[in-house]
Amino acid sequence: MALLLTDSEIIERAKSMPAFPRVVTDILATLDDDGANLGSLVNHVEHDPVITARILSIANSAAMAGHGGSSVNDVRKAVSLIGLAKIREITLAVSLADFAHGCRMASYFWEHSVAVGICAMELGRFTHHSSDYALVAGLLHDIGQLWMAHFYPLEFQMVRTAISNGSEGINQIERRYFGVDHCHVGRQLAMHWGLPQAVVDAIYYHHEPDPGLAENLVAITHVAEVLANALDLTGRDGNLVANMSSAACEKLGIDWSQDCGSLFGRIEARTEYACRVFR
Amino acid sequence: MVLGAALILTEKGVINFNLPAGHELTESNLQQMRVRHAEFVCVQEVDQRSDAERAEAWAQAEARLQRIFRAADLRQPTMAGLYEAVRAFRRT
Repeated sequence: MALLLTDSEIIERAKSMPAFPRVVTDILATLDDDGANLGSLVNHVEHDPVITARILSIANSAAMAGHGGSSVNDVRKAVSLIGLAKIREITLAVSLADFAHGCRMASYFWEHSVAVGICAMELGRFTHHSSDYALVAGLLHDIGQLWMAHFYPLEFQMVRTAISNGSEGINQIERRYFGVDHCHVGRQLAMHWGLPQAVVDAIYYHHEPDPGLAENLVAITHVAEVLANALDLTGRDGNLVANMSSAACEKLGIDWSQDCGSLFGRIEARTEYACRVFR
Repeated sequence: MVLGAALILTEKGVINFNLPAGHELTESNLQQMRVRHAEFVCVQEVDQRSDAERAEAWAQAEARLQRIFRAADLRQPTMAGLYEAVRAFRRT
C-alpha cells in the first residue's frame, strides 16, 4: 500500500537522523563577509579534528612544494597558504561527507552527490554564472532520497526496481510509493535546516527546473546532474540521461556545439580526485 | 611530460601562471604549479594500442554512451547537442 508522507512526518523523522552540521549553515550564512567568515571558519575547523587533519594535510603538501619543507601545523597558517575559498570547500565537503556517513549513505550515492557538486561548480565557472552555493546544492540535491532510503528502505528499493524496469520518471514513481517525491522531501529538509532559499530551490527543482529558473542555481544544479550522468562519472549501471531542460541550458548560455573538452576534462579529473579524498 | 592543452591558472580572476600546449614540463614548473594550487593538467601520452584495440575501446565507449542516453529523445536539439559533445569528448 502506498505511503502518504506529510511535511510534519518528514521533519519529525529527520530529527532522529544525525544532526545536520552547523558549520555548513554558518559558512553559507557568512559567505559575503570574509572577516566574519574567517573567524568562524577557523573556530569551527579547530574544533573538528577530522577537518583540521584534512586541511593541514593539504596545506602541508603545498608547503613542501613551495617552502622547502617547513611544516604547517595551525589552521590560520593553512588559510594563508591554500586560501579561504579552498578551506571553505574542504570544510563543506568533509562536514557533509561525515553527515552522509552518519546517515549510512551508500557510497555510490555520496559519489554521485560529489560528482554533481563538482559539475555545478565547473559549469558555473564555464558559463560565468559562478555561485558560492553550487557545491552545497550539488552535494545535497538528492538529500530527499537519503531520507527515503533511511526511513523506508523497502519502498525505496521498490522505487529503484521500478526505475530500472520501466521508462517512467523517478518523481512519478516516488509519488506513487510515497505520495511525494524526493525533491519535495529535500525541500522540507533544506528549509528545516535553514539553508539559503537558492539552495532550497535548487534541491526542489533539480528534476523539473523550468518553474524555478529565476534562480541561476536551479539551472546550474539541473544541468550538473544531467552532465554527471552523461559523463558516467560514477560508472554506475543506473546512470541515465532522460531529460534536460532546454530553458535551463539557455538560461546558462550553454552551447553544446562549442568545444567542451576542457570543461569535461576538468570535471572528470576533479571528481576522480574528490571521490578519493572525501570517500 | 608534455602539456596536451594550455595550462592557465588564475587567482581571483587574474591569470598568475600560464604555459602553452606542447610545453615540456620541468621540475620547476611542477613546483610553481603546486604553489599555485593547480589540481590537474592535461598531458600528452603516446597511445600504444593497436588499431584493433582502439576500435574495440571506441565501440565499448559508444555502446556505454548509447545505454546512458537510451531514454533520451535525441531529436530534441539540446539533448542531441549534449550527446554529440560527450561523444566527441570520448573520441579524443
